[in-house]
Amino acid sequence: MDELELLKKQWQSREQELPKLSFGDIYKMLLKKSSSIVKWIFYISIAEIVFWTLLALLVPESSTKFSDDIGLHNILVAINVVNYLVFGFFIFLFYRNYRKISTTDSVKELMGNILRTRKTVKYFVIYNVTTSVLLIVGINIYYYLNQDIVFRFMTEDYGIANISQERFMKMFFSIQILFGIVMIGFVLLFYRLVYGILLRRLHKNYKELEKIEF
Amino acid sequence: MNKELEHSFVAQLEENQNIVHKICRLYTNDSDAHNDLFQEITIQLWRAYPKFRGDSKFSTWMYRVALNTAITLYRKSKRSIKTQDFEGVSFKISSEPYDDTAEQQLKLMYSAVKDLNDIDKALVFLYLEDKNYREISDTLGITEVNARVKMNRIKEKLRTILNP
Repeated sequence: MDELELLKKQWQSREQELPKLSFGDIYKMLLKKSSSIVKWIFYISIAEIVFWTLLALLVPESSTKFSDDIGLHNILVAINVVNYLVFGFFIFLFYRNYRKISTTDSVKELMGNILRTRKTVKYFVIYNVTTSVLLIVGINIYYYLNQDIVFRFMTEDYGIANISQERFMKMFFSIQILFGIVMIGFVLLFYRLVYGILLRRLHKNYKELEKIEF
Repeated sequence: MNKELEHSFVAQLEENQNIVHKICRLYTNDSDAHNDLFQEITIQLWRAYPKFRGDSKFSTWMYRVALNTAITLYRKSKRSIKTQDFEGVSFKISSEPYDDTAEQQLKLMYSAVKDLNDIDKALVFLYLEDKNYREISDTLGITEVNARVKMNRIKEKLRTILNP
């Protein structure tokens, strides 16, 4: 196998062409593992806001017309504005965490940053799940208190006839409750999967750092 | 005490980094992937370092851990999972290591080696590193006979690739 022998000779004479990392470069690598996870948290939070915005654009007009008719328009706009502001604030926090973690160069500081990031994510998830639950429950309480209007617009907008108000409302709320549970389940599952995985990895890194430090 | 451990580890890795670079070069195709793999190997080495008792040479132990990492990471990257990166550490590396050699055969040989499966590649790598079969078998955790048989098969494989 002449070529392999030739390659072997070449192989050994080519060592000086290899990259050279300094002590500091290698040392930094021991710390850098967490920064990519935090970066992903930042990216995913942005992807999320884009996703919800797109979803809001896809909601059929009839549905928005219904909430307008029954007098929810202003309050929904207000909730949306507040929600975007809070969301934006969290994205800013994620970005700051990411910047901080990628410029850290001591193990102790890095551990502090990991803890801070985990906390931010936790609050973010709590905020999102709580607002989803509150929104769904709140809207349904509103519907419940205004059953007459809901029934009137529903029958007008969708041409539902031949059904008593009592029976209609029963059906309406059953669907609402079912839909609400599915929605919240979806939100919980989403956060559990996406952020759960990232947080677990961060935690693992943290434990490893702990071993280095103590 | 742990600072000391950290420093002795980094110093030893710095001294022996060529081994890791060569593995990265063989198992990846561009400098980003090279850097990723280098970092991953560094972290795996550091994780395993407390278990390194010094009953073998640091470099021998490094071959084993680094190749294992390259092989498992290589498998993972085929499913295109990529979560690692690192900034601040930059170095240049030519994507065609033997570009300037006139010998076309050598280039072909090198790309044939790069096309081997990850385990065979590990064997060829150790062979190129001038390890004897005893060392190869130790590093890869196979018997010496098995290493010889495998190496012969790989040579056969390379021969048919180069001279179809």
